[in-house]
Amino acid sequence: MLFFSFFKTLVNHEVTVELKNDISIRGTLKSVDQYLNIKLDDIQVVEELKYPHLSSVKNVFIRGSVVRYVHLPANAVDTPLLEDATRREASQTAAKAKQQG
Amino acid sequence: MSFFGFDTNLPRDQGAQSGSRGMFDSHDPFAGLSRDGDDAGEVLDFEQTYDGLGHRLEESGDTFNDDTFGGDEPVTRAQVGRDFDFAGETAKIRDTLLEEQALHHARQPLPQARAPQPARTGYEAYKQPEYIPKLEADASIWGKPAQRKPAEQPRQDNAPKMMSLEEVEAAMRAQSRPTPPAQPPQDVQAQTLGLKNMLGLGSTPTPPAQPHQQPPPPQFEQRPPQILQRPPQAPHEQPQPAPDYNLRTPHILQRQHSPAQGRPQSQDFHGQPPQPMQFQQPPPGMPMGGPPPNAPRGPMHMAQAQAQAHAHSRGPSYNGPPITQAQQMMSMTAEDRETYLAEEAKRAKRNHKIFLLSKNNGLMTPQDKNFITRIQLQQLLTATGGVDNEPGSEEQLAEDFYYQVYAQIRGPPRSGPGQPLNQFAQTYLFQTGSRYGYGRSRHHPRGGDNHVQRMEQQVARAVEAAKARPKNKQLVMEGSLGKIAFSNSKTPRPLLNIKRPDSAAQMRHPPKPADRKTTLRDIETLYSTLMRLEDHERKLPPPPNEESDPEVIEGHMRWRSEMQELNEQLWKALKVMEPIQPNPTVPHPFIQLLSHSKGKKAIPRVFRHLDDNQRLTMLTLIVIHLDILDVIRDAYPPQDNSPIPARVKEEVELFSQAIIPPLLSYINEAPLNIIIGLVGLVLDRVHVQIIVRTKIGISLLTMLTSRAELVRQQQQGTEEWQQWTDLYSKLFDTIEPVLPYIFPTDTNISASEDVHVWQFLATMGVGATPDQQQRLVLGAKDRVMETVTISKTLPEEMSQKRLGDVNLFMRAIGLDVELLG
Repeated sequence: MLFFSFFKTLVNHEVTVELKNDISIRGTLKSVDQYLNIKLDDIQVVEELKYPHLSSVKNVFIRGSVVRYVHLPANAVDTPLLEDATRREASQTAAKAKQQG
Repeated sequence: MSFFGFDTNLPRDQGAQSGSRGMFDSHDPFAGLSRDGDDAGEVLDFEQTYDGLGHRLEESGDTFNDDTFGGDEPVTRAQVGRDFDFAGETAKIRDTLLEEQALHHARQPLPQARAPQPARTGYEAYKQPEYIPKLEADASIWGKPAQRKPAEQPRQDNAPKMMSLEEVEAAMRAQSRPTPPAQPPQDVQAQTLGLKNMLGLGSTPTPPAQPHQQPPPPQFEQRPPQILQRPPQAPHEQPQPAPDYNLRTPHILQRQHSPAQGRPQSQDFHGQPPQPMQFQQPPPGMPMGGPPPNAPRGPMHMAQAQAQAHAHSRGPSYNGPPITQAQQMMSMTAEDRETYLAEEAKRAKRNHKIFLLSKNNGLMTPQDKNFITRIQLQQLLTATGGVDNEPGSEEQLAEDFYYQVYAQIRGPPRSGPGQPLNQFAQTYLFQTGSRYGYGRSRHHPRGGDNHVQRMEQQVARAVEAAKARPKNKQLVMEGSLGKIAFSNSKTPRPLLNIKRPDSAAQMRHPPKPADRKTTLRDIETLYSTLMRLEDHERKLPPPPNEESDPEVIEGHMRWRSEMQELNEQLWKALKVMEPIQPNPTVPHPFIQLLSHSKGKKAIPRVFRHLDDNQRLTMLTLIVIHLDILDVIRDAYPPQDNSPIPARVKEEVELFSQAIIPPLLSYINEAPLNIIIGLVGLVLDRVHVQIIVRTKIGISLLTMLTSRAELVRQQQQGTEEWQQWTDLYSKLFDTIEPVLPYIFPTDTNISASEDVHVWQFLATMGVGATPDQQQRLVLGAKDRVMETVTISKTLPEEMSQKRLGDVNLFMRAIGLDVELLG
């Protein structure tokens, strides 16, 4: 849930999504769900000349599983908070693992 | 009237049939009329209509009648018959005619009203390729391409029409059988059906099998074609009498297309060139199936294509209106026509849009949509494990920490920091509710509510089910070797299952000497303790007063004790109280914490929770370890004047942003004796001459001395003050030799960041005796002169800044850079 939680805060920020097929799409993050599927608006393909078939596409829905990287806007990320959130997530996971084990 | 050519009329049907028989049903309408008279007993006999006046006529003038009219015998009534009784015959069916006229007019607006319906073109059948072959079979039988027209069934959305399409298909199937080509009754039957269907009159769908059994179709259905047929019938002189229905049908169709025909050829806004209709009217005597069907096919295809294009480009609304429109158009002025055409074009465009949009209309029924929505809702609930958290609750904070806190810090995002599940569920419920409420309100005002209710119930049930679901995440199928692991977004299916060693086992490791790993682990412990403390802080109960419930007071006490406990844990985790070894091989654990950037970042957060004593202890610990702090130890100006590594600079920056402010805030409230103690420790245990050459070291010294100067103004003359003066002299003496070297040397003077040095010099200058001030000036003189000289070559803004920095020091000792200019 950490990433879901994190990406939710990036809604309406511009991100660049790099897909596993090497296409990079820059656009405004409109929404994200628990599977980290991503909806982008006003998209622009980074290498537009290489992928002309996407030049007329305005918005996309990206299945979470095909995303390789998401380039984040640095000023929209609260690093200490993210660190804390990560710690929490880690401790929760550890607690769960202990519970199960 | 059957497909097999024999008369299947039952005697009982004869009566009902007569009088309103369709054109297609009767080979000779007049014969039907005459039969009517006989059968119904309503004989319009001459006897009945003759008023007897003739008897009173003089019979003398008819001498030459025989010569005139021929015939040797006297003309009898029987001889004359009723062949010329047109008025009588007409009168007999006058009622029917009027009826039909009214009916016709009544129906005329109907297609117009329906016109915008997308499915009304009548050409839709052509969209499905499989219809073409059937049509070809048709043509071959009818021998005329025009016969395809009846098959242009509106294949559309309303049920009766769907049925009628089947009807026609059945008819076609029957026709395509190897039957003798010329079977007018079949054709007639099929066409009647087709026409009815096409005109939208086939109100009662007949099962496909019916044509074979051939009960005569109800009167009602048959009438309209008859009447509609009438007008075109007149202009087109049919050399062949009634039975040639194949020929007649096209006229009906033709009439429907008459706007196209009637209009001028050029620039028709329909883009439909007047269609040559001759292929619809082959030579009357053409034998059925005689000419190969291929012959007319060419133009037919063209026409089809045109018709299709026409239907597509114009949208659905063509068939109905044009009949009247064309007539109106003819009588319109040019301007009117133009405006009309423009409007029509607009309307057509809109209709086309609607048509495009509504292509998929009706693909899913409301029930289907409902079903899908419910599935989605259920999915949502199960995906999140059915935990219905309130916003801000513990579970929610745990699951969605980053988002929740981020939203609190940076202001709530537009949708509000609502719990996602609730948000989704509400959105869905609201949307579907309104959707169905709207859609159904017209027909079933309560239907929408019902759906929402059902949806809500469904949600409630799903939540219950999710909560009641067993917690085990694995399923072992009987007889299978593996396990099936369930997963959802909260508890993903574990791909690796690592047995973790018990934490107790970990504890058994002997405490290792502090290495990097241990330090990092310590920092993490510090953070988790800190976060627990912060969480606990958030749960602060309202402060109790005297009237509070004992329970509330008790709760508050419990909270405080827990807080105390956590505070102790935090203090322990901070490692400040670790014993200081006289000759340490490794730095103190707390100093090691500080050597990592995330350790530094923890300090301001921890500092809030410490009490005064703890803060002092921490500050003391830092002060006595100043020269082994990484930000001082690594930040000594290198011998070769090379710049300090970027990593170190970052750490220095972080230290001055994270740790200096809390320390400063503490020092700014500390009494003089504490300052004296701290400065004493610095002088005793730290190489002051070295630390003053680093930014952090000099900053700390500035903090301490400036606080002492501030306190001095209140406490001058006391014993403590005397102590401080001694200490200050000692510090001054220590620093004096290195005064020329305390400025940063990694860059040239014009770009140097040396404001902290000037601040330090200013602080020292304020408390200095005149003698000490002179020594200070001597030590810093070169740098002052250089800076002033260089600032003259700098742009105005930078120059002002540089001079301002220098002036910090100059003013402190009662001088000004202006004096140097």
